[in-house]
Amino acid sequence: MGIALEQSENSSVLRLDGVIDISCAAELKTLLLKALSSGGEIRIALDGVTELDVTAVQLLWAAEREAARAAVAFALSGPMQEPVLSGLRLTGFEEYASTMDLFKPREVIRCQP
Amino acid sequence: MPTVSQAEQFKQSFREEAREILVELEAALLELNERRGDLELVGRVFRALHTIKGSGAMFGFEDLATFTHNLENAFDEVRNGRLAVGSELVDLTLVALDQIRAMLEEGAEGAQDADPEACSRILAGVRRLTGKPEAEAKKTHPPLKSVCATGPVNATEEMRKWSIHFAPGPEFMLNGSNPLLLVRELRQLGDLAVTATMAAVPPLAELDPERCYAVWDMVLETSAARDAIRDVFIFVEDNCELAIEPDIGSANSTQLTQPQFATEGAAKALEEPRAACGGRRNYDKADTASSLRVPAAKLDEFVNLVGELVTVQARLSELALRCDDPDVAAVSEEIERLTSSLRENSMNIRMLPIRATFEKFRRLVHDLARDLGKDVELTLEGADTELDKTVIDQLGDPLMHLIRNSMDHGIEPGATRASRGKRPTATIHLSARHSGASVLIGVEDDGGGIDAEAVRNRAIEKGLVAENALLTEAETFALLFQAGFSTAKTVTDVSGRGVGMDVVRQRVESLRGSIDVASKPEVGTSVTLRLPLTLAIIDGLLVSVGEAFFVLPLANTLECIELTREDAERANGKHLANVRGDLIPYICLRQHFDIRTRPPAIEQIMVVETGQGRYGFVVDRVLGNCQTVIKNLGRFYRHVQVVSGATILGNGTVALILDPERLALDAVRLNSQRSRGSPALGARSGRSRDSTVVSGIQGFAGAGGKRQRMSNNDSTS
Repeated sequence: MGIALEQSENSSVLRLDGVIDISCAAELKTLLLKALSSGGEIRIALDGVTELDVTAVQLLWAAEREAARAAVAFALSGPMQEPVLSGLRLTGFEEYASTMDLFKPREVIRCQP
Repeated sequence: MPTVSQAEQFKQSFREEAREILVELEAALLELNERRGDLELVGRVFRALHTIKGSGAMFGFEDLATFTHNLENAFDEVRNGRLAVGSELVDLTLVALDQIRAMLEEGAEGAQDADPEACSRILAGVRRLTGKPEAEAKKTHPPLKSVCATGPVNATEEMRKWSIHFAPGPEFMLNGSNPLLLVRELRQLGDLAVTATMAAVPPLAELDPERCYAVWDMVLETSAARDAIRDVFIFVEDNCELAIEPDIGSANSTQLTQPQFATEGAAKALEEPRAACGGRRNYDKADTASSLRVPAAKLDEFVNLVGELVTVQARLSELALRCDDPDVAAVSEEIERLTSSLRENSMNIRMLPIRATFEKFRRLVHDLARDLGKDVELTLEGADTELDKTVIDQLGDPLMHLIRNSMDHGIEPGATRASRGKRPTATIHLSARHSGASVLIGVEDDGGGIDAEAVRNRAIEKGLVAENALLTEAETFALLFQAGFSTAKTVTDVSGRGVGMDVVRQRVESLRGSIDVASKPEVGTSVTLRLPLTLAIIDGLLVSVGEAFFVLPLANTLECIELTREDAERANGKHLANVRGDLIPYICLRQHFDIRTRPPAIEQIMVVETGQGRYGFVVDRVLGNCQTVIKNLGRFYRHVQVVSGATILGNGTVALILDPERLALDAVRLNSQRSRGSPALGARSGRSRDSTVVSGIQGFAGAGGKRQRMSNNDSTS
C-alpha cells in the first residue's frame, strides 16, 4: 500500500498502490495539492490499486475539478483491477468514474481548458 | 492524521465492542430460554446479532458477518411470528456464539480458531428450524466461507420498491464506518439501483480528507419490509441522514438517473437544519462521550506509576521532616495531598462492577444443567458491587470451579430433591458485597450439603490427617481445598478429579483472599471468598515492634489502647484486654514473630476487626498513617499467609504488611492446637510456620536498622 509522487520539470506522476482508503486520505490530499501547485501535467497511476474507498474517490474527483479550473492536464491511467472497478460500479460511482475515465486503460490524456 | 494502523485499531475496537455485545447476547438468550414468548428479548437478541453482523462486515470480518447473518435471519423469523423459540434454537445460538467468539479472536495468541464443521452443523440446524429445505439452503449457503448465506429474499412475498436517501454525517468515516459496505449490504436485500452524488464535495484545498461528502440515492426492489432495510443502517443511524420511503411511481427503477431526493442538491441538504427531514439527523450534536475505552495495559501502567509516586512521596515527607524547613514542609504536604487524591482516583478508575463476571456463569449453569439433567436456576445479588479489575480478572476461574462443583456434587438429582421435599428447581446463588476493605463473594447452593464425615474419612485414607485427629468443622471443610482431594466416587466430565478446589484455593490465596465454607446436610452449602478490594495500594497504620516495622490495613483498625505491664500481669498470663467492659483477646506480635528485644513499659494494642471478631495486636509504637504500595514478597515467601506483602518506607526500610484476618486465624489455630495437644494440618509446635518465616524476613529486611531496598518492579499492581 502506498502513494508515491514522482515529479519532473513538466509533469507529476502520482502512483497509487494497494488499499487507498481513509488511512492515507490526508497524505493523498497533500500530494494532490503538491502536484497541482507544480503547474505541470498530472497523471494518476491506478493500476496497482486493490481497493479505493469513498474518501479516495472524492479526492480524485476534487483534484480533477481543480485541474480543469487551472487548465492543467489531468489524467488517470490504468488498467484498473476488475474488483475495484466493479466495487465502484456497485456503489453508485459509475457516472463519476466514467467522467474521470477511470475504467478505460489508457495513456495520459490532456484535459481541455 | 490517521496512521496506517488505523484500520487495525478500528478492528480492535470492534472486537472489544463485539465481546461486550456477545456477553449481552448470551444473557438475553438465556433469559429468552426462561421467557420464550417475550418479544422484547427476541428484539434484544436480534439487534445484538444484527449489530455484530453489520459491524463485522464493516471491519472486514466477513466470515463472522455471513455466519451471524444466518442466525439473524432465524431470529427475524421469530420476530415475525413464523418461528417459535425452543430450547433447540437457544442451544444452537449459544453454540454459534462460541464460534462467533472464535472468529472474532482468530489470529490472536492462544485463541482457538472457528471450527468450519461445527459452523456447518449449526447452520444446518438453523435451516432445519427455519424450515428452509436443505437443497435450497445449499444453493445460497456454501462452507464457512462457503456455508454462509448472503441473505435470502423470500420470493413468495410481494416485491416493493423503496427510495432510499443516505447521507453520511461529518463523523461517519472517523467512527470506522464505511458507506460503500452499507450500500453493498443493501444489495443483498434485492435489486438496487444506486447513484452517488458528489455535489457536496468542496474544492480540494478545503476538503476534509477524512469526511464523506458523497450522498447516495437508491431504489431498492425487495420483498423485505422497511424495518429490514432500516436494520442495515441500525448501527450508523445516529451518524447519518436516512430516509426510506415507498418509491411512488418509479416504474423502472433500474433507469434511475436523478432520484427524487437529489432534486434540491445534496450540498443544500447537508446544510439544511437536520430536524426537517424524517430521517435521523442527530449526528451534528456535540460529541460528549461520557466514557472512554482505554486499553487495560495503559491503565495498569498508570496505576503502577502512581504507586511509584506514592513511594517517592513518602520519602519526600520523611526528608521534609528532617529538614525542618517550613517551605519544604508546605510543598511536601501539598504533594502528599495531591498524591493521595491521585491515588484514590487511579484506584477508582480500575474499579469495575462484577456483573459481567457473574452474568458469564448463566451460560455455564444452563449448559451444565442440561448435561447433568438437573433443573437449576442461577440467581445474582450485588452484581453492581465494584472491585479492582485485577481481582475481577482472576475471579472467573475459582467461581467456575465452585459452580461446577455445586452443580455436580452439591445439587441432588431431581428424585432425591423430591424425596427430601425440596423445590424441583435447584438454586445457585451468586452474591457480592463489600465488607471493610474486602469484598465477599458468595456461591451458595440449596443442594445436599457436604458430608463432613466422608471428607474426614477420605482425608484419613489419603494420610492428610491422623486417625485420631480432632478437627473442627472449618478445618474439615478446609481439606476440600487440598490438591488432589476429592470425595467423588466417580470422575465426571464436570468434576471429581480433585483439581478444581485446589485451583480455587491457590487463586484466592494469590489474591490474598480467604475461603469460608459453611454447609448443612440436606440444606445446602455456602462458600464465601473474602478478597481485597484492590491489590495495589492500601491505607495503613505503621507500627513498630523493636526495630521491625509492620503495616496494619487502616480499614480493619478500630482503635488503639495502651497496655501497661501491670495490666498484662493482672490478666494472669491470659492475653485478654478489657476495653470498656468488653474482653478482647490480643496477640503479642513480639512473641508471635519471636522478636527478641525488650518491650517498652507501655505497649499499644491495635484493636482490629476480623472475621473472628475483634482482636488486639500488641505493638511497641504506633507511628502513624501511611499510604502503602504493596510489593510482592516473591515466590519464595508465597506460602506465608499472615503477611499480605511488603512496602518500602520513606527512609528505604522495608515494612511487612500484616493480614489481621490470617494472623487472628493463625493465633486461634495455635491456641486450639496447644490446648488439644494434637498436631494437625502441618503445625509442628507452639509457633506457626508463618511466624517463623516472618521473623526471618524481618531479621533480613528490617531489624537491626538495615536498610534493604526492594525492587520497585515488584509491585503487585
